[in-house]
Amino acid sequence: MRLRLPERLSFVDLILWGLRVAIVVFVLVGSYATLSQGVLGFDGWRTLLIVGVAQGSIYALIALGYTLVYGVLFMINFAHGEVFMAGVFTAFFAATALADSGILNGNPLFGLAIIFAVSMVTSMVVAVILERVAYRPLRRAPRLVPLITAIGASLFLQYTFRSLYGSGVRSYPTIEILTGTFDIAGVPIQKTQVVVIVSAILLMVGLYFFVQRTRTGRAMRAVSEDKDVAAMMGINVDRVISTTFAIGGLLAGAAGILYVFLFNSVSFSMGFLPGIKAFTAAVLGGIGNIVGAMLGGLFLGVLESIGPFLFLDGLGVPSTNQLRDVVAFTLLVLVLIFRPYGILGRKE
Amino acid sequence: MNDTMLGRFYRRAAGLGLLGTLGAVYVALIGIVERFEPRNIVTGYLTLGLLTAALVVFVTAYRATEPPHSWGIGPPPRQHVLGAGVLAAVIGAAGVALFLVLNRALPLDAVLVNANDRMSEILGLGLEFPAGALALLGAGLAFGVAAGGLRLLAPRFRGPLIAAVVAVMLVSLMEPFMRVVLLQLGQNAISGFFYQSGGLTVPGAIIVAGAVLAIGLANSLRGEAVRERVAEMPADQRRGIQIALFVVGIVFLLVLPQLIGSFLSEVVGTVGLYILMGLGLNIVVGYAGLLDLGYVAFFAIGAYATAILTSPVSVLGWGLSFWVAIPIVMLIAALSGLIIGAPVLRLRGDYLAIVTLGIGEIVRILLLSDALRPWTGGAQGILQVPPPEFADIDFFQPQNLYYPILAFVVLGAFVAISLANSRVGRAWNAMREDEDVAAATGINITNYKLLAFSLGAVFGCIAGAFLAVKLGSIFPHNLNLLVSITVLSLIILGGMGSIPGVIVGAFVLVGLPELLREFAEYRLLIYGAVLIVMMLWRPEGLIPSAQRKRELREHEDDEDQWAHQTGVPTAMPAVERPGP
Repeated sequence: MRLRLPERLSFVDLILWGLRVAIVVFVLVGSYATLSQGVLGFDGWRTLLIVGVAQGSIYALIALGYTLVYGVLFMINFAHGEVFMAGVFTAFFAATALADSGILNGNPLFGLAIIFAVSMVTSMVVAVILERVAYRPLRRAPRLVPLITAIGASLFLQYTFRSLYGSGVRSYPTIEILTGTFDIAGVPIQKTQVVVIVSAILLMVGLYFFVQRTRTGRAMRAVSEDKDVAAMMGINVDRVISTTFAIGGLLAGAAGILYVFLFNSVSFSMGFLPGIKAFTAAVLGGIGNIVGAMLGGLFLGVLESIGPFLFLDGLGVPSTNQLRDVVAFTLLVLVLIFRPYGILGRKE
Repeated sequence: MNDTMLGRFYRRAAGLGLLGTLGAVYVALIGIVERFEPRNIVTGYLTLGLLTAALVVFVTAYRATEPPHSWGIGPPPRQHVLGAGVLAAVIGAAGVALFLVLNRALPLDAVLVNANDRMSEILGLGLEFPAGALALLGAGLAFGVAAGGLRLLAPRFRGPLIAAVVAVMLVSLMEPFMRVVLLQLGQNAISGFFYQSGGLTVPGAIIVAGAVLAIGLANSLRGEAVRERVAEMPADQRRGIQIALFVVGIVFLLVLPQLIGSFLSEVVGTVGLYILMGLGLNIVVGYAGLLDLGYVAFFAIGAYATAILTSPVSVLGWGLSFWVAIPIVMLIAALSGLIIGAPVLRLRGDYLAIVTLGIGEIVRILLLSDALRPWTGGAQGILQVPPPEFADIDFFQPQNLYYPILAFVVLGAFVAISLANSRVGRAWNAMREDEDVAAATGINITNYKLLAFSLGAVFGCIAGAFLAVKLGSIFPHNLNLLVSITVLSLIILGGMGSIPGVIVGAFVLVGLPELLREFAEYRLLIYGAVLIVMMLWRPEGLIPSAQRKRELREHEDDEDQWAHQTGVPTAMPAVERPGP
């Protein structure tokens, strides 16, 4: 790789280079300072890493929804975080009902299956309706129009569910089989984290094979390549786009329940941050790229978990945990500025 | 109209009826019916709560009475117009009745917090259970006949009639405002005649409806002739009328705070801040076509810069006067616009939106965090921001603070209008329509984008400065993403690029919720709905600038031309790969 300076360094270039240098210096100095103080031992870092991977796999699942939709429509479904919220918030009522009747802890697999089903189906229905009502009529509109609609849809869904289910934060009932830890190679890991990581991986592998091997998956790839030609080949483009939203919704609904395993509480506004972060993950991996979204999610989760402490603690910044979201957003901004085609994507 | 078409027409009516049910049930379940119930429209007869649900059913029934243009057939025979209206309205009402039965049978309120008995009672027209559901069917029938009848009226009568009904609702909703104004003017008798317990009285409603109906009829019968006469008037006479109107407007704006009292002046002041921000974001979004979702960052920078410079208890402790601080704040604003703008402006539209959103959030979290606490005071914010000083006027009074805000709004509007009609404005237009072509004609894209961004930042920062002064303190809680979304919504409602649009949008979206406390809870829901509905139905806004209207409408009829102009295939959205 050759480093080539532009012939004329403009004001914008200057700012961009300043930003690059500042970030690199900041990360190096911060990490060095933290590591040299040695506050956190190996175990501590490992715990943070596992937390990060678990959270990252949830981001990855949500990110798949962004990436799939972007793949076929070339639009950012800004309301996808709300699709995620809709499912898990609705499933809360199923979960409490099951817990009250004793099914959830008497027959946990059946109970969990119902909760997953409620969440996934609700998210799917919301995603499909969203596409039908808000996006389909605007498919030919200038680019910014669907994006503004999507922002509106995000607000609208958030506050619809707030008004329907109430504005309070609700706690899911405890699921006994998921409490406690597994011992994996002598390392105790929370059961929930293991379940989250394993289910997320299963879902992602399932999606990969669905897109690569099935007829519908092939139709989705065709639509993503060229809608006109796909239509000429006898593919029902509208239906494929609906299916894409449905799959994104299913994955988001599952991600919602996994999210609850880790954090236990639901509210109407819970979709915003995971939504933005998952979008970051999708862009990080190259939007439209399924494998990229998975890796992007994991990377973001780990960075967000380790980053604030690693970069900032050594510099004497107080309460680094408050700045977790700043790390995620900064990553979002930097990726979009410097590598908008993602890490796995290619510049065109 | 043949039988197949007729079948299709009635099926559509039935579908719309179902939609009416869904809409009315939705309105009830999100609690609007119950929450709006205490507000009277016509006291003793009609409340806003019931009206919202009824309107949904009525509007869908009205829509059902006319086949869409795309079917390419004229209006159906009269009996079928009525038939479709009745079908849709009865289905809509029957659906609501069915929902009432369900709500009685099932404990819906365990999940849906608003599905309570009070809601059922209101929807059941206040009657006991079976009677209420039956009465609903009757009401549906009446609505259907009314919807069909309205459609059959000649347009010159239909328009004024709809206007009269809408006017009654609006005048009734403006009750808190009108009451105060009338009180201030000492017109208690008039106030008592028109308004009673929060709504219009029956005679008041009749007078309002009658007056609007009369004006509307006069307009549709004689309006054309009058407009022609005005057009034929000599130029200097017309100019005279314009100047007179202008002077009346200025005088009105100057005496307004004395007329409306302290509370409403405060509301108008808030609206003024949002107009300032709307003017600024309008430069960025409307003129330059850059969707900035992090506009709150500039609002925050302005507010905190002002607080730090003027408050005696801030980290600097300079305690500067507001008037000395303002130019410094504007300078900081322009610089922050450049610094935030420079790295992000090479991104294409949707990525720019997300990046700016990220920056806005970063600014908010940083303000809240302990890391910047010595400067910004963390969650406690900065206190003791002094009001502006000028000739012993007490600017703590919202009635007085109104004037400097008004001055900046007028100045801002003047700057924005001048820019739109200047060389710079035309460059922005060209850039918004097609960057590559604009660049090819010699427009320096980066510089013009930076200029728009910095100008927008200056507007935002001035609004922020006034926020700090208005509150006398500044906290990070007032400065979140929702500010950006509010400003964006008011621009979209009014019309991108339209300055009257910004002003109307700010009054509707910021002023109304302040007046009508019931709306405040649904404010963000309504913003969301506004964004969706406007994009689907009227992307150019309520008061479009002439040019935007041409741009957004023309292409609908002529898609090939649109595709030709933008280089995008017609059957799908722009297929661009992400790239810098």
